[in-house]
This record gives sequence, structure tokens and C-alpha cells, in this order.
Amino acid sequence: MDIDDILREVDPTFHSIPKEKQDLQELTRAWIAERSAPELLPWPPNGLFERINDNIKSQIEKVEEMTGDMDPRTNFALIVIQTELERYKYLVRSYLRARIAKIDKHTLHYLSTDNLRSRLSEMELAYATRHQALLHNHYLSSFLSSFPPQLQNLNDAAGINMVETPDLDAAVFIRLLKDVFVEGRGVDSDVTMDGRESDIVILRWSDAKPLVEAGQAELV
Amino acid sequence: MPMYGDLGNKLALHAKRTQNLAHLPPYQAELVRAVTREVRDLDKEVTTLLEPFQGSFDPAADHATACTLLVNHLSMRRNKRCLLAYHRTRTDKLEEHVWNGVDVLDLVAQQQAGGGNGAAISGEGGASSSLSPQEEDYVRQYGDLLAAYKGQWTDIDLTGSLEPPRDLFIDVRVLKDAGEIQTEYGYVAAVHGSSRICCAGH
Repeated sequence: MDIDDILREVDPTFHSIPKEKQDLQELTRAWIAERSAPELLPWPPNGLFERINDNIKSQIEKVEEMTGDMDPRTNFALIVIQTELERYKYLVRSYLRARIAKIDKHTLHYLSTDNLRSRLSEMELAYATRHQALLHNHYLSSFLSSFPPQLQNLNDAAGINMVETPDLDAAVFIRLLKDVFVEGRGVDSDVTMDGRESDIVILRWSDAKPLVEAGQAELV
Repeated sequence: MPMYGDLGNKLALHAKRTQNLAHLPPYQAELVRAVTREVRDLDKEVTTLLEPFQGSFDPAADHATACTLLVNHLSMRRNKRCLLAYHRTRTDKLEEHVWNGVDVLDLVAQQQAGGGNGAAISGEGGASSSLSPQEEDYVRQYGDLLAAYKGQWTDIDLTGSLEPPRDLFIDVRVLKDAGEIQTEYGYVAAVHGSSRICCAGH
């Protein structure tokens, strides 16, 4: 046992929240953030989704077990568990769909650099790569193959870049988690302010991103 | 005389119109072919123009040729973008159908079968599918891809409703006497005309 373990034991927030609940909170946060942010956010680390999947599986098993039981008293518990399960599944579904929508929209962009690729989960990466290949193939067989060879690329760099990127300057709402100095770029002039904890601010995602990544603010 | 890019513009307009339609209008095979042909012709012209210079063309010395080259160059790229936009709009629509669980290929077959009247009035080849053969391939392949991705999330039902679940139960009006129905919570009698609450899954 080292000092970290001792500290953790006396930390009131560590023991008061069970792991499952922490996971749910994490999922809810990730879901809200993913739906508000204009660009794809990194896939949650530390196997959050493996645990969530396990939880869902075990709840489904529990429901099946209880269904066999015709005792009216367990019926109420069954309803509660099933409702909770449906909500849990909805969160995961909506979260994954929000990500897929972003990936589909700017596939080439998210596949372009290693840094961006690392935001995708393995499954998403496989999906995006395959999807892009399908699209390119479709273009090729529909018309690109009869083009002159130098025009068959999907990313002609001459002139305007053909690969579309998400609008990082789109506006987002954030809630400040700490007292922090907020800087925002405006159309006519830039604004700075001393933000207080739990203030809600609207600003460009590109300005909000450092705060969110540093854990000083969260998307709402 | 038609100008460069006129055809491409038509395609872009088609794409724009498609965005607001519930169904997919017929594939503009003829237009796509014409735009592609225009690109090839332009490219040929560029090659012929540059031929006498043997790779030592100086734009400052011959403004007229330089201008022609630039216009051709831009028109080719513009046409390409129009084609890409047109096809992407259509594949987006097709993907949406796949996500919603609509069997696009089945739908096409139905339209062909039921479209006899419409074809007679419009006088066009109504029997032809609104999808190009390439698009039909694409739908099939995308369906497989989606199924593979979905298969990794079997418990979640990825293509399920995106409405937040409010209630586990839904109201069901009984249309036909169905006698006793066994639910997970016991038996209910389904008698004609009565309203019952039922598990959303049933």
C-alpha cells in the first residue's frame, strides 16, 4: 500500500460513488459533450465501454432471470430495472450514433492524420476506413475511372482543399467547473472575462476546447 | 451554345433538389456521362494546346493560351466537384435508408412493378430503376458494413429509436379479440375495444 492508496481511502468521493454509477456519469458526460461539440471527441479511455457493455449484459441476464419468476413483488423491481436498462441503452446508442454521424460527414479528415485517427475506437476506425473505400469505389465505378488519371484523386490540393473539415469555430455552451479566466474571440472584438464556477458561457469551440480539455469546464 | 460547367451546374441543382425529397429521384446517367465527357474533352484540349511547347510553356509569353489553359483547368475541377457532390448527396440518402432499415433494393423492385401507370403517362422508360447499378452495389455493400458494425453492439440495437425512452409501456388498442395474452407481468385479457398497456417490446 503506498501513499496514493491511503489518500484514496480517506477521499470521500472515492468510496461514496460505486464504480457502476461513476461509469454512468462518465457516459452521460461523454454523451452530452459529443452531442454539443462540432468535432469528434476522443473515444473514452480506460475501457469504459467494455465495462458498460458488461453491465448491460448482466442486467439483461437479470431481467431474463426475473421474468421466469412470477412473484408479483419482483415484478415491480423488474419494471424498474427494465426502464433503467432501456435508458442506459439509449445513452449508448445515441452516443455512438452521434459519433458515427460526425465520422461519416468528415471521414477523410478524421482518417488524415494519426492524431485524428487516435480519437476513433478500433471499431469506428475499421468502419470509417471501409466506408471511405466503398465511397471511393462507388465514385470510381460511376465516373472517376473515365477521368484523366491526374484527376482521379479525392483530395486535389490545387486551389481549395477538397477535404472538408468540421467547423471548429461553431458556438458551444460550456459550464465552468472552476474559477477561470475565459477568453473568447468575437466577430468585431475579442472578449475576456473572469469566469466563476458554474457560470454558463457561450463561445467558439476553438476557444472553449482548451478549457474543456483541462477539465476546467464541461460542455452542456 | 452551352458553356463549360452548364451541365455540372445542372447536376448540382439535381443534388440540391434531392436533399429535400423523401424518395430518390432517378439517377441522371445521361448527364453524368455528358459531364464526364466534357472533362475528357477539356483534358484533351489541354494536351493538344501544350503539345507544341514541348513542356517549356511560359504563361507570361502567351497570355491567350495561358488563359485558355486556366479556364480549362478550373472547369475540369469544377465538373469533378459537381459530380462528387451529386453522388455524395445520393449515397447519403441511400445510407439514411439503410440506417432506417428500409430495404432500398426491395423498394426499387416495387416501384418498377407498380410504376407501370406512371411510365405510360410520362412516356419515359419508367421501368428503369431510379438507382444506377453502381448505386445498387453500393447499397448492398454499405448494408453489409453497417450490419458488421452493428453486430459488435448487439445489446444496444444501434439502429433503434433515437427518441429518449420515457416509458416502458405503450398504449395498445385491442382490435380483435385475442383472448388472454401472456406478458412478462402475468396475463391480461385482450377484449375487443378495450385499451391495454403493454410492454413496448410486444
